[in-house]
Amino acid sequence: MKRLAAILGLSVLMSFSFAAEKIQITFWHAFGGGRTAFIERAVQDFNYTHPGIEVKAEYKGSYRDTLNAAILAAKQGNAPHIVQIFEVGSQMAIDSGIFVPIEDYVPAELKFQLDDYIKPVANYYRIGGKFNSIPWNSSNPILYYNKDIFKKAGLDPNNPPKTFNEVVEACKKIEATKAAPKCITWPLHSWFVEQWVAEQGALLANNENGRAARATDVYVDSEAMKRIMKWWKGLYDKGYYAYTGKPEDWDGANQLFVSKQAAMEITSTSDVTFMQNASYENGFELGTGFLPVPDGIERNGTVVGGASLWLTKGHPQKEQEAALTFLLWFTNTENMVRWHKGTGYFPVLNTSVKVLDWQHWFTRNPAYKAAFDQLLQSKANRATQGALIGPFPEVRTIIENMVQEIFQGKDIAKALAEADAKADKALKDYNAAVAK
Amino acid sequence: MDTHAAYKSRWLPWVLLAPTFVILLAFLYYPTFETFKLSLYRVAFLGLSKKFVGLANYKELFTNPDYLHIFWNTAVFAFFVVLFSMAAGLALSVLANQKVSGWRVYRLLLIWPYALSPAVAGVIFLFLFNEQSGIVNYLLSITLGITPGWLTNPKLAMALIIFAAVWKNVGYNVVFYIAGLQNLPGEVLEAALIDGASSWQRFWKITFPLLSPMTFFLLIINTIYAFFEAFPFVDLLTKGGPSDATNILIFNIYRDGFEYYKTGMAAAQSVILFVAVVFLTIMQFRLGESRVHYGS
Amino acid sequence: MGKLAKKRNNLIVHVLLIISVLIVAAPIILAFIFSTQTPAQIFSYPPKFTFGTAMLDNYRTAWNQYHLGVYMKNSFYIAITVTVGKTIVSFMAALALVYFRFPLKNWVFTFILLTLMMPTEIIIVALFEMVTKLGWSNSYAALIVPFLASATGTFLFRQQFLQIPTSLVDAAKIDGAGPLRFAWAILLPMSLNVVAAMAVIQFVYMWNQYLWPLIVIRENSRQVVQVGLKSLTSGQDATNWGIVMAGTIIALLPALIVFLLLQEQFSRGFALSQEK
Repeated sequence: MKRLAAILGLSVLMSFSFAAEKIQITFWHAFGGGRTAFIERAVQDFNYTHPGIEVKAEYKGSYRDTLNAAILAAKQGNAPHIVQIFEVGSQMAIDSGIFVPIEDYVPAELKFQLDDYIKPVANYYRIGGKFNSIPWNSSNPILYYNKDIFKKAGLDPNNPPKTFNEVVEACKKIEATKAAPKCITWPLHSWFVEQWVAEQGALLANNENGRAARATDVYVDSEAMKRIMKWWKGLYDKGYYAYTGKPEDWDGANQLFVSKQAAMEITSTSDVTFMQNASYENGFELGTGFLPVPDGIERNGTVVGGASLWLTKGHPQKEQEAALTFLLWFTNTENMVRWHKGTGYFPVLNTSVKVLDWQHWFTRNPAYKAAFDQLLQSKANRATQGALIGPFPEVRTIIENMVQEIFQGKDIAKALAEADAKADKALKDYNAAVAK
Repeated sequence: MDTHAAYKSRWLPWVLLAPTFVILLAFLYYPTFETFKLSLYRVAFLGLSKKFVGLANYKELFTNPDYLHIFWNTAVFAFFVVLFSMAAGLALSVLANQKVSGWRVYRLLLIWPYALSPAVAGVIFLFLFNEQSGIVNYLLSITLGITPGWLTNPKLAMALIIFAAVWKNVGYNVVFYIAGLQNLPGEVLEAALIDGASSWQRFWKITFPLLSPMTFFLLIINTIYAFFEAFPFVDLLTKGGPSDATNILIFNIYRDGFEYYKTGMAAAQSVILFVAVVFLTIMQFRLGESRVHYGS
Repeated sequence: MGKLAKKRNNLIVHVLLIISVLIVAAPIILAFIFSTQTPAQIFSYPPKFTFGTAMLDNYRTAWNQYHLGVYMKNSFYIAITVTVGKTIVSFMAALALVYFRFPLKNWVFTFILLTLMMPTEIIIVALFEMVTKLGWSNSYAALIVPFLASATGTFLFRQQFLQIPTSLVDAAKIDGAGPLRFAWAILLPMSLNVVAAMAVIQFVYMWNQYLWPLIVIRENSRQVVQVGLKSLTSGQDATNWGIVMAGTIIALLPALIVFLLLQEQFSRGFALSQEK
């Protein structure tokens, strides 16, 4: 009897200690809205199928708020394990010194997954030859357009404009037939400018876009930029391009297009699901096409947008590996398919793309096809790899302010030169601040 | 200051003041001092590393025309926000103080914007004033045939954020002015009534001076509000644009500090903001205290 | 004033009030209308002024899926605690400043007032370091204690006390009442309207805090209402503004209720004229 009690007692004790054995991982992200629930369910799934690990996901506000909270927590020695950081924050994340390259902690049996990322995505997040972070939500800019307005204007609803001039031509027709009050809109965001620079095969910074070595010069005053600004200003002056006035106003642009005040909108592929629903509700047929590019150039490809997941330093090896186990599970083939279907973001693994193809997903959801094809057809070079610039947020604001000044009448060459000087100064100050 | 000092205890006032001292010292003075210290450094990432640079940050602030432009914007913004908030607050509270039926509902509806989170207020204004598809321009287009570019025109953008800031804050002034109006000694007003003074005269010769303690208080609070609390409106409506036309100091401090991680510069700007507002407040005290009528 | 003139005045006041209210309240009416619509309806042109079809869905989703109830409960606890504490602490400080003679009084008052120019947002990094050193990370202590003293409150009570006739305190002294008894029996009842106003202001201030709780609290279940509201927006792709507006209306209610409850106090005038 005593023996039984002892064994029972011991097993209870051991089960308690096993329960206490669970590795606790914290994961901070910036996904509000319906995504939070989606992430919650995935996390529960993981915890259930991986009894030794418990992941806790916390919403931490916007991208900016999430990064700030993480830095402040790290300063106190209490950083969360996993942090979602926006793509142009990559150089800042590296320079902050609070993160470690994830590739160093990938368990051996999961290393294969790193080879499965689709090329453009892998290119972006491979820095110095290894993955610093796990790609998660990746997006591209595409052209959405209102097929009904096109028909009314006498344009071919299945043939959206593919170049700058074609956009202007389409706008002429739309204005002439009064098919819509405005022709085209997109948020006044530097992201689009960066995409058009990449499409022309041009670089945004020296040292091979900041990829071969730290960038010390930003290329704002370039031919590629000039081309973009000339076209954009032309559209604005003729009243074809409309925007709300607020920089980076994603909702404002959506509002213009969904309310049929504009015939076309260029915005992120992460909005495909929303666009499909909204166009259906507001009674018009939605079309999607590639990002229009300057005439006379060969389409080079786009840069991946979105965010990735970083690992903070200062945790024991076991915890790091557990965090990586979660990250790789979270972004594995099946989960990426589910993520794409639920949110519209790219499934960033080749195998996921194969699964979706096999399920005839794209034939049944043609709106997603343009997004995909554009990304997969992007050439792999420094331009599409995307620039690594430390003070990227500040440079973006400099470019956006410049565009607004150009709209208000400033001479393009002068505006570009002044913005270039400002951006270079910002970069110089940044590099001085983070120099060891 | 000592007009009402009736008690002579040597230790009791210090005991009464102790909690205030401790909390203000630990949680306000100390962090402020630490923050201001950073203005002498070039700081990376919210303080992860820093290098002493002396007055370099300040030099930049006073020689770079972009920053000077921000100082000017801030002054203009603050001036109009204080002026309009107080005037509208006074007018509305006089109205809301009248004994009409449904006064409770009226008061609630006039004050509620104060309770609204500024971030949400900003978003609502953004939808309202959308140049192409917002309600304001819709109404303007069908009545007056104009569709102003609220956010694309630099002057209109400034007007809009001033309006938004005033709108959000008027309720605060109404709350206090009503409290002040309710406190007015009834017999003084009755006496004026008997004397046959018109309401306008009554108001300016009697009511307004009697409200002066409240006005004095609100002037200081509104100034603080205009300089320190308008960040969400700029962040949500204009992001400082178009082209820095609505960039005010508090917005730039936040952006420099939390988005660009130019923590040293943000700290320097905070110091300047602090000094400017302290100066203004001292002026207000010097000019105001002598003119305030404390009823007795 | 004749009855007719009075009626006409009444009408004018009503009209003016209604116009003012429309201007001031238009955004909330709009927010409420949005809260019943779907995203496509919100984004339509000409704008839809009528109620949409998604009211139940939006409110239900905002409440259930985003746990607004939990966040509001947390915010409520914090807001009430700070309001009560801050009122008491400021009352005490103003009492000292007005009714006592002591050296360096002007310096003390200046010391307190200067803190008006030290808003949380500017000092947030150093403040965070401070509370973490105290071991208050992820605790409500960090959300409450730093806000228990108030320059506004002290200033406001001071203004109020200075308006109370000195005859009252003289009378109290003659009656043999000490300062604390005087404060409790006479000062406090005469300052209730200020207490009420302060309560509304402080409650709203704590209720609307976003950035500070965001970095201090590390567990969703302890988080406050504004962070919860923010989680209804989707930073990275199209937000469902109908649900966000529904959440906003829900989150707005407690502050409005606090105001309604305290309105009676505002309307209490001085007992002075009756007291004679």
